[in-house]
Amino acid sequence: MYYIHPKQKEYMDIIKQALAEGRNTLSEFDSKKVLQHYKIPVTQEKIVTNEAELESAAKELGFPLVLKGSSFEIAHKTEKGLIQIDIRTPEEAREAFRTIQSRMETDQKDVLVQEMVKGQRELVVGMTRDAQFGPCVMFGLGGIFTEILKDVAFRVAPLKQRDTFDLMEEIRGKKILDAVRGLEAVDREALADILQAVGQIGLDYDEIKEIDINPLKIKNGQPIAVDALVVLEDPA
Amino acid sequence: MRKSKQLDSLFNPKSLAMIGASTSTRKWGFLILLNILKAGYKGTVYPVNPKLDSILGFKCYPNVADIPDQVDLAVITIPAAMVSNVIDECGKKDIPNIVVITADFSETGLEGAKLEKEIADKARSYGINLTGPNTMGIFSAESNLHALMPMIMPLHGKVSMFSQSGNVGVQMLDYGLQENVGFEKFVSSGNQAVLSIEDYLTYFANDEQTDVILGYIEGLDKNSDFTSVAAEVTRKKPVLVMKGGRTNVGGSAASSHSGSMAGSTAIFRAVCKQTGIVEACNTQELIDCAKAFACYPLPKGNRVGIITRGGGWGVLAADACEENGLDVPELPRYLIREMDKLLPKYWNRKNPIDLVGTIAHDPLPQCLEMLAEWDGVDAVLALGAGFRAFSYQYSEEVKGPRELTDAMELLKEYLKERSRQPDEILVQVANMVSKTGKPVISVSIGSDYAHKKYSEQYGIVSYPTPERAVRVLRHMVEYSRYLKTSS
Repeated sequence: MYYIHPKQKEYMDIIKQALAEGRNTLSEFDSKKVLQHYKIPVTQEKIVTNEAELESAAKELGFPLVLKGSSFEIAHKTEKGLIQIDIRTPEEAREAFRTIQSRMETDQKDVLVQEMVKGQRELVVGMTRDAQFGPCVMFGLGGIFTEILKDVAFRVAPLKQRDTFDLMEEIRGKKILDAVRGLEAVDREALADILQAVGQIGLDYDEIKEIDINPLKIKNGQPIAVDALVVLEDPA
Repeated sequence: MRKSKQLDSLFNPKSLAMIGASTSTRKWGFLILLNILKAGYKGTVYPVNPKLDSILGFKCYPNVADIPDQVDLAVITIPAAMVSNVIDECGKKDIPNIVVITADFSETGLEGAKLEKEIADKARSYGINLTGPNTMGIFSAESNLHALMPMIMPLHGKVSMFSQSGNVGVQMLDYGLQENVGFEKFVSSGNQAVLSIEDYLTYFANDEQTDVILGYIEGLDKNSDFTSVAAEVTRKKPVLVMKGGRTNVGGSAASSHSGSMAGSTAIFRAVCKQTGIVEACNTQELIDCAKAFACYPLPKGNRVGIITRGGGWGVLAADACEENGLDVPELPRYLIREMDKLLPKYWNRKNPIDLVGTIAHDPLPQCLEMLAEWDGVDAVLALGAGFRAFSYQYSEEVKGPRELTDAMELLKEYLKERSRQPDEILVQVANMVSKTGKPVISVSIGSDYAHKKYSEQYGIVSYPTPERAVRVLRHMVEYSRYLKTSS
């Protein structure tokens, strides 16, 4: 299932450029570009810098929308009030855009316009580099529960499909993947592909130290990366 | 796969030189030699010490070069600074194996590390298998070789162990004595200047005398091929490992969730799951598992039948099964009908089967047979066997009215009579294992000694609590499943 995208070079450039600029993270937008290249489903989104761009992005993506302040410098977007959700009209979009820009303390005031994914279930998929065993994939409960419940499990990359299914069985909250409370069961094959892909990214790019996909939301049974963070480290 | 090193003559040398042999009871050169002799080592021993003519009745040689015959193994206890020269002497004498007991090498600092590299390089250039330095020694049942620092005579059996800690390893040998777990080979890997745990693991995998491999691991080398070695070995025989140093070091510097939640424990656990290693969380679980893996067949699935003499124990066992991913299936109609014939009307008709305490006629052996033979279960827990363990309570003198002391005497006679008979439940447990090929684990009250006795006398696996039995069963089920599903 792994493939080298013809434009892979472009994504190496994102990483190289970030490292050259002394950054150790990619913005959410760039992080998702990396994920997309490994066929991980991500939200549809656009970066806008002015209200004209905002208008055309809104038209293209359709309401409801989520607007987020976008910069590699910004972590903890929620705490800083840089995320506006459930935006349903062009007026609301403009207002949200202005609010976010006024709160951004960075030089560049890019705003990420994103389709709003409705999904009640939030998972986390991540990658970390162990000094001994190399890239390891994490899976567990996402959103605010990642920190609160710490219900996560790991496997060392590369992951066999069996490892991915074992991961889904290993977490205490494994029932979240079932058809619960009228929700569709999660497409485990699709989830397995994501887990394998995240491990593969770790194997392919020494420069990528950690990855967080949190939340990975479940929409109609399909997993989709709603927020993502790629942490870099110059291997040299 | 990693090339298996030829370590037969390390563990089963036909002759050994004890370099640093001593007559002083406060020196390792004396104590280790004494251990070797006391245990009845099957080969020839050559003590080496230039200051002595003989030790413990053995002719002493000034130098290994003076030994007239071939020497397969040199055990070294002389001070660190002198070891390097002796490696040369051993190399020139074509001694293929050396165990360096001596400490004060890389574990103490840079100076020691330099010295260690020197002896490692020399050993490699001579093609010598070197264990240690800073090791507590090696043991082999096959040749009665007890080249160990502590005075311990392990039980002989089919379990072989490598340990990155000498004292944890020796503790396990001692624990084996208490729990009737016998060892075939043991090595304290010390500083691993030449031979590493990966070498021992590979060797034990190919060793026909070894059925189960035990390991205590604290850390792996940066370029270790442990993962690939372990994945190969677990296909041949079970590898049971305990990991020391389970603190979350590297985690604090991480900038993401994925980074901060990955501690060495979580990752090592993942490695175990991916390579089929059974990871025990403490020494008790490690010895408990060693016992069962060494003498019981693996369950084919995760369905457990429980039979109990007391309701509460059955409840605890069922809870533990649920918590450990084991199924406790409902009994089929035919089994209920059959058991109706043996049990009082009010029996619970459920799994766990709660036998109502009867003394005159014990339905447990028959019910156990029916349960074990039912193809709806892959393993059985027999709770409440061996209740004679209580008997000792009645052996004490009782003061009181005549009627009471007479009654006690009668009871004592009865218990004495019964203790002459084999315990029919434990006999049945053993029968069921061989008849059904399923692990039937006994759980009963009684001291560690009682369980050791059950194991020796009846060849069964028995634990004092349902929780311990279930943890072992879970590990067996997971290993069995790993073998079935991995390729």
